[in-house]
Amino acid sequence: MIDFLSSYEVLIQLTLSMTLLAISLQIPLRMGVISFASVGYFAIGGYATAILVAQQGINAWAAVFLSTILGGVIAYILGLGIAHLNGLYLAMATVSFSLILSVVAVNGGSLTGGPVGLFGVIGPITTWHFLVVVAVVIFLVSFTERGKLSRRFDAIREDPQLAAAMGINVVRYRRLSFLISGAIGALSGSMATLMKSAISPESIGFGLIILALTVIIVGGQGSWVGAVLGSLFFLWMPQTIKFVGTWEPVLYGFIVAVAAVTLPGGVLAVYRNWRYRRTAAKVIAQQEARTRDLAMSGATGGGSGDGV
Amino acid sequence: MNLQDVLNASTLGSIYLLFALGMALVWGTMGILNFAHGSVFMFSAFVGYLITSRIPLPLPAVVLIAMVVGAVLTLAIQYFAYQPILKKIKSVNAAELQIVVAGIGLSVIPIALAEKETLSNNFGFQGSTFQTVVYQFGDLRISNIMIIILVLGLGLGFGTAWWIAKSRQGLGLRAVGIDPEVAALMGVDRRKMALATMAFAGALAGLAGALLTYYLTALNPHSGEGLILKAFAAIILGGLGSVLGVILGSFILAFAETAVFAYTSGTWVSAVSFGLILILLVVRPQGILGKKEVRRT
Repeated sequence: MIDFLSSYEVLIQLTLSMTLLAISLQIPLRMGVISFASVGYFAIGGYATAILVAQQGINAWAAVFLSTILGGVIAYILGLGIAHLNGLYLAMATVSFSLILSVVAVNGGSLTGGPVGLFGVIGPITTWHFLVVVAVVIFLVSFTERGKLSRRFDAIREDPQLAAAMGINVVRYRRLSFLISGAIGALSGSMATLMKSAISPESIGFGLIILALTVIIVGGQGSWVGAVLGSLFFLWMPQTIKFVGTWEPVLYGFIVAVAAVTLPGGVLAVYRNWRYRRTAAKVIAQQEARTRDLAMSGATGGGSGDGV
Repeated sequence: MNLQDVLNASTLGSIYLLFALGMALVWGTMGILNFAHGSVFMFSAFVGYLITSRIPLPLPAVVLIAMVVGAVLTLAIQYFAYQPILKKIKSVNAAELQIVVAGIGLSVIPIALAEKETLSNNFGFQGSTFQTVVYQFGDLRISNIMIIILVLGLGLGFGTAWWIAKSRQGLGLRAVGIDPEVAALMGVDRRKMALATMAFAGALAGLAGALLTYYLTALNPHSGEGLILKAFAAIILGGLGSVLGVILGSFILAFAETAVFAYTSGTWVSAVSFGLILILLVVRPQGILGKKEVRRT
């Protein structure tokens, strides 16, 4: 186990930060908001941490905390400006937001380190700590996937007008989704920067948006499980398909396209459908058995209510 | 900004226009934001490069080849990816996202293929028989390829605007954009219309790719990626659903970029289109010439 950890440590760290980024992308999506701003929050968290730790010499954990708050606040303000947009307009506004930040990072002079980025962001945080942080986030997020809150999210996504008529404050929930998404995205960037001890404009570009998006499309949009599955798949796949060599990007694009066309809810939906069908089949079988029992008991004239 | 800058910006605007026009038509009428448009643009020029590096062809032949490649590729994407998604997913919101992701996934493939062949280097039409000639009028320098781009860009832009506004097919196309079901009831064949629009958009992407390669003398496998966002900026700048809006948007974007390039360091140029998108969507989401009722409440 320890050997495994040390030889794959970087990959594990990448998987963890991608999981957080994917969750950050999912939260608005679960309320019907297609937002790609998560990569921007990632950049904010990463650069804020790098500046605080490497330039100001602030304690790493404090920097993580402050970056997370900053991400949430900026996301909330962004949400105030653009949350009224729908569908692709919001998507493109958020893509622009993310890409502007990468241009700002290139032009930021000594504060952001220009095209090279910032180095020496070193703190006492280990991969184990990161694992715990991700587990805590997943634990908290899982509360929104059960019970009343989960049904509210679904209602806002599927039919905002109906949700409003049921007394759900749709606008407030959507703004809240920006806040949570911003905090988690910034946390992801902050932790990723501390793990790598560096951040550069290259690492927060359009490529990251595409990767995070494909992670949740292939993994599944509706739950953190999809984020974990997708991150595992896309970060560990290059290891397993090394045999295809230079054809790797072609295969990658092909997998993404096929998944988008054939699996609308990701791998997770396939599993859930299968489980649903199995349970449904079981329930139907039970009901049939019950009606048979009732018919038998009716025929013999005896009677006990144990079938019900 | 001197006269030369105006001329250069207009040429750039015409390229943006040729690229964005197809994207805007497809998006405005069928609701499909084709993210693979940039890849099609690049790959059409790339096929032109593959052929001209073996057979010396004149410019019209290269342009024609690129247009055919663009149309065929876009049709294939429509047929194998977007059409099945639209058939499978009824919710417009969910289908939009799925289409964007499918487009992104598919756009990776031509880029990867071109990178593999060129080893990530630039490619051009050095094998073509076309020679660039520069004419000098006082301080003003204009090349024959610039004239071709300006004439084709403006001609096709205004031609399409006129066709959409006046012709019967244009009326059908606008009808599909406003209410597909009623349009179908009125006898518009949506499937045929969709395929025809897609083919036209792909051909325009191929045209833009070939012309830009002649103009810049080289493209690289990633040339199409940035153009998608620029085209998006041009489309929402003018207003979705208005062809004149796309023309206006493309030229405003090109002039803004030229101005930023002239007055600041070049590294800020890419922020122009992103900034325009963000500001416009916050301030005036329907664009300059757009109408409010187009789906974007």
